[in-house]
Amino acid sequence: MPLTLDAIRDCFEGAVPGLVATCAPDGTPNVTYVSQIHYVDPQHVALTYQFFSKTRENILANPHATADLVHPLTAAQYRLAIEYLRTETEGPLFESMKAKLAGIASHTGMTGVFRLLGSDVYRVQAIELVPGRHLAAPPPERNLLAALRTASQRIAGASDLAGLLECALQSLETLFGIHHAMILMLDARRDRLYTVASRGYPTSGIGSEIPLGLGVIGVAAREGTPIRISYATAEYSYGRAVREAAERLGMAGQLEVEIPLPGLAESASQLAVPIVTGGHVTGVLFVESPEDRRFRYDDEDALVALAGELGAAIHALQADEREEEAPRAGSAPAPVAGPPVVVRRYAANDSVFLGEDYLIKGVAGAIFWKLLRDYANEGRTEFSNRELRLDASLRLPDIHDNLEARLVLLARRLEERSAAMRIEKTGRGRFRLCVHRPVQLVEVAG
Amino acid sequence: MDRDAARPVLDAEHAAFVQGGVTVSVASRDAALHSSVSRAVGCRVSPDRRQVTVFLAGMGAQRLLRDIATTRTIAVCFSQPSTHRTIQVKGSDAEITRVEPGDLEIIGRQLVGKLGELVPLGYSEELVRSVFHADPADVVAVTFTPDAAFAQTPGPNAGRRLAA
Repeated sequence: MPLTLDAIRDCFEGAVPGLVATCAPDGTPNVTYVSQIHYVDPQHVALTYQFFSKTRENILANPHATADLVHPLTAAQYRLAIEYLRTETEGPLFESMKAKLAGIASHTGMTGVFRLLGSDVYRVQAIELVPGRHLAAPPPERNLLAALRTASQRIAGASDLAGLLECALQSLETLFGIHHAMILMLDARRDRLYTVASRGYPTSGIGSEIPLGLGVIGVAAREGTPIRISYATAEYSYGRAVREAAERLGMAGQLEVEIPLPGLAESASQLAVPIVTGGHVTGVLFVESPEDRRFRYDDEDALVALAGELGAAIHALQADEREEEAPRAGSAPAPVAGPPVVVRRYAANDSVFLGEDYLIKGVAGAIFWKLLRDYANEGRTEFSNRELRLDASLRLPDIHDNLEARLVLLARRLEERSAAMRIEKTGRGRFRLCVHRPVQLVEVAG
Repeated sequence: MDRDAARPVLDAEHAAFVQGGVTVSVASRDAALHSSVSRAVGCRVSPDRRQVTVFLAGMGAQRLLRDIATTRTIAVCFSQPSTHRTIQVKGSDAEITRVEPGDLEIIGRQLVGKLGELVPLGYSEELVRSVFHADPADVVAVTFTPDAAFAQTPGPNAGRRLAA
């Protein structure tokens, strides 16, 4: 059976540098180490174009080249006959190679030297196993297919968005051994992603935001492609990067920086996978680890499949929430007692404070304010998704409004920040505002 | 090439570098200008530095050896993993030569040098020993006269011709 690229993907993890030989039109051969040979698909690989080298000069004149790869565990060597096709200078392939290269550069002390100008794409014409001494491959640490199967079944069984997100993160931990993960949803109108669920961090960071295009999460969402880094790199670290980007992009007033992004300070491996719903990127599943090379091609495949399930389930639940069922009879409302809570809302950015404590802003802030006003003016506690959708003052985008995700975000923030109020689901497309202390609403203009 | 017949391409420092614990990789090409490549297991530089001999595991380098026999062209990349310092040497008179007494000891010494470079970088000793393994009976020597040498350390000076 001929060898396939899929079968030797571990060789592309960059653990052992690959070699590439080319030949000039005058017949002079050339050989060089390459920092990255990137697996594109079963027929193609890509090399980094970083500066105008002899290799590049040669392949532009004579596209035939040979690559030599080493399997990092078995020491088996493979030779690939490859033919240069084209160079990509933007888009998903370019961005995923750029991120990967940043990790490699940082790991090898070459930050500032390695810089991606383009992705040179090659067709693989033949793969040969080089005779030699090979080591036995150790057994895999876990069976990713079995994990994926169980996770998919659990996801399919979730009945609401909050439960679905929780189920996905729990599955990552118990089935995939991934201890640090978050799920972000895209706010397409404001070009940013907001955290709706996380696991494995000291603070949840629910409500924190990342601009589209920033770091592995922002790039994965913008390009609609998985982004995977195997080593720590300042270039793609979050923390201060979010604030800096906010300032640079003039977003300081609008980007959520009050709620810090969850994240490992010592993150080495990062993988961000877009969640696609109905053909559009609607969010990102992000995992990280302090271990180098924690996520490999197979992990990426498994998480892309899982994100697909997640996207389909989100889509189905959203459609479901558009239906309305009669509200379930709730428990008798708890008595309202204690000192009043002052709730202030700043109209400029819909930010809401409970007492002195910041709660939330943006669409979720606007929704919360509407609920509280209806509660204060009319004593209402029962609400439907549908009426929020129809309320022009909330300015929800029509189709992919992700309303349910905003409500999950609001409910989680209330849970974390205040015992005075909470939101509970009362049925499909319905929820209840539960208020345990008197509220005093203060509107701040400007 | 513009080689000064009086001076070898490699100076004494280069000769010491390529015979240290560096990795040695060899390329050639066939009549159709398709390249071939192999990782070598060591190298020897003649006392006058005019001849470089690289050692290959013959079993894994059949195509390369056939191309060398046919076209006599050769490119050899020497790289020190801990510093990324890399030079490439080219020749056009490569031929398969005899493995001399003492060559297997050179290969053994250079393997120890590679282990000293690569194990601290996190590679397992058995991986390094396997990648650079050659059965003594399978070792093939290829000798050539360097025509030119180039700096190949990643960065802006990569590709610059070395002045010996």
